[in-house]
Amino acid sequence: MNEVEQLSAPLAIVVVAAVLVVGVYVSSVVDVVAFRSVAGQRLRPGSAALHPARVARRLSRQQSVRTERPDMILRVLAPAAFLGLAAAAVTVIPLSPGIVVADVRTGIVLFGAAQALAIVAIFFHGWSPNSPFALVAGYRFVAVALSYELLSMFVLIAAAIPAESLSIGAIVESQAGLWNVIRQPLGLPLFLIVSLGVTFSGPLDLLDSNDLAGGGSVEDSGMQRLAWQTARHAMRIAFAACTAAVFLGGWHGPVLPGGLWMALKTFAVVALLGFLDVFVARISAERFVRLAWGVLLPFAFLNLLIAGVGAL
Amino acid sequence: MIGTIDVAFVVFSVAAVASGCGVFRVDSMIRATYLLLASFLNVGAILVLLLAEYLGVALLFMMTAEMIVMGLFMVMFMMNPAGLNPMNMVHQPRFAAAAGVVAAAGVAVVAVFADFPDAPVDAESDTIRELGIELLGGSMLVFESIGVTLMATMVCSVILSSATGRFGDGYEGSVAPALEPGGDHRPADDLYDPDAAMGHSMHGMDMGGMDHGEMDHGEMEHDS
Amino acid sequence: MNLMTVLLVAAALIGVGVWGALAQQTFVMLMMGIEMMLNGVILAVAGFWAFTGAGLPKGQVLVIITMAVMAIELAIGFALVTAVYRARQADMTEGIGSLKG
Repeated sequence: MNEVEQLSAPLAIVVVAAVLVVGVYVSSVVDVVAFRSVAGQRLRPGSAALHPARVARRLSRQQSVRTERPDMILRVLAPAAFLGLAAAAVTVIPLSPGIVVADVRTGIVLFGAAQALAIVAIFFHGWSPNSPFALVAGYRFVAVALSYELLSMFVLIAAAIPAESLSIGAIVESQAGLWNVIRQPLGLPLFLIVSLGVTFSGPLDLLDSNDLAGGGSVEDSGMQRLAWQTARHAMRIAFAACTAAVFLGGWHGPVLPGGLWMALKTFAVVALLGFLDVFVARISAERFVRLAWGVLLPFAFLNLLIAGVGAL
Repeated sequence: MIGTIDVAFVVFSVAAVASGCGVFRVDSMIRATYLLLASFLNVGAILVLLLAEYLGVALLFMMTAEMIVMGLFMVMFMMNPAGLNPMNMVHQPRFAAAAGVVAAAGVAVVAVFADFPDAPVDAESDTIRELGIELLGGSMLVFESIGVTLMATMVCSVILSSATGRFGDGYEGSVAPALEPGGDHRPADDLYDPDAAMGHSMHGMDMGGMDHGEMDHGEMEHDS
Repeated sequence: MNLMTVLLVAAALIGVGVWGALAQQTFVMLMMGIEMMLNGVILAVAGFWAFTGAGLPKGQVLVIITMAVMAIELAIGFALVTAVYRARQADMTEGIGSLKG
């Protein structure tokens, strides 16, 4: 069923690592640019381009804080699992007509499973330092995450219906004539909300937020903080790549090669997520839970209905 | 000839059984819950090896959400959620171990000595497509019944866990009559405070049982 | 990997589940024991489907039914635990040892 030849294991690791390293750096630069533009500061593109490297250097030299009786296994596992799940999510997304690390037949369900396990990793991040604000942030995040978890699955299944397959490669190929953002208009906004949620940014910035004095990251410093930020940006890249593949037509495009189109679309989504992170105010957890179960989930069902009728 | 699949199967099965045992041995409740999740993840991986691809990945997905919810309930109900104190709360330990060994032995005896027909699944067939067609075709009635059962489950669980009864506040609507007229059925040192109960039951999603804060239940203090 | 080894792993999981369910005092740990048992059952059903079912789709439907049963049991179980706690302030199996209300 797959005409793409499978990549060998070392090449696969190189491809995923390259995507994540470049993506994390670009995403951090986008964050800095967005922050400076909304704060009214001068953009200073040279310094913005070097900002992630400077932050990484500073954090790698910083002392790591030890709390009293943390759960050390979970504390180390949280950023590692978050980053690993982002890498696993990237492996099922076709990066160009010929390059996909593992276009499994159940790619979209695997992506959903990686997202669900990311919630577990984020809960560990809040639970492990044995600190009250972190715990409150973790619980708050789980409450919100369980609300948009279902949303994401329905939206992805609706996108899989025209493709008649669960593999993301087939979904991209089914958009050769018409992108999913046009024939399923509700899908993209809902999936962007899910992306904002899993990377806890924008209106759903309820995990590492300032209203909890840093929330889940209140006890993070040094390498722990650097690892967590890196993992967060990696997950943002994974979700942006999935959005581009599932809703924006993947590698389809007129003149440029497929891989370049995919990169451009992913960058556009990353820029959108980065700017939404800074421009949209935080919504309270309780209000979002009501919104998700009462309004957004019916929209997801409506999206599924539109997809089903379109497939008849 | 040991292939990659056999090695992977051994790794996953050992990890599944080991984390399953660990569930009941660790002190921290969150670790117990997520060790159970690890056991499920390994079984999901074995299912993918058995070519039930969609079932394996769906198991991963479903069990993750279930274990997140179970983790929250563990922290709610268990008295040592972070495992900061060593704890050993077992009863009838030897009988339980014997029963576990007997159960495992029973199934193992069937596994080793029974004669099963040999009809392996075809590696080339598209099991996912066949499952989809079967679910919405021949087994449609089964699927619909499960759907209705799940809806009944949702209604049941909301009814069982809601704090208000049919005749008003749950604390008033379901108490037994008093032993002498005008009294309270509970012993004198355990009378409930109607103002505290009314104040707390105004909130929608409140675990009302935890808010009997004024009453000590012997030596078991539940910090909510 | 053949049917015997898969069923042996399933037997181990069922055994661990029975041990956990009978040994633990609290309700939630009891439920985790039951979940382990259902885990073993799912593995056994999938093993039978893969090695003796010739890819019959109804075997996969049985696995889905078992997964749905797990979800139902979890939901109702937690609702019952909550209700029992509210009625009797009991969170251990010894707490509801007698039927007297």
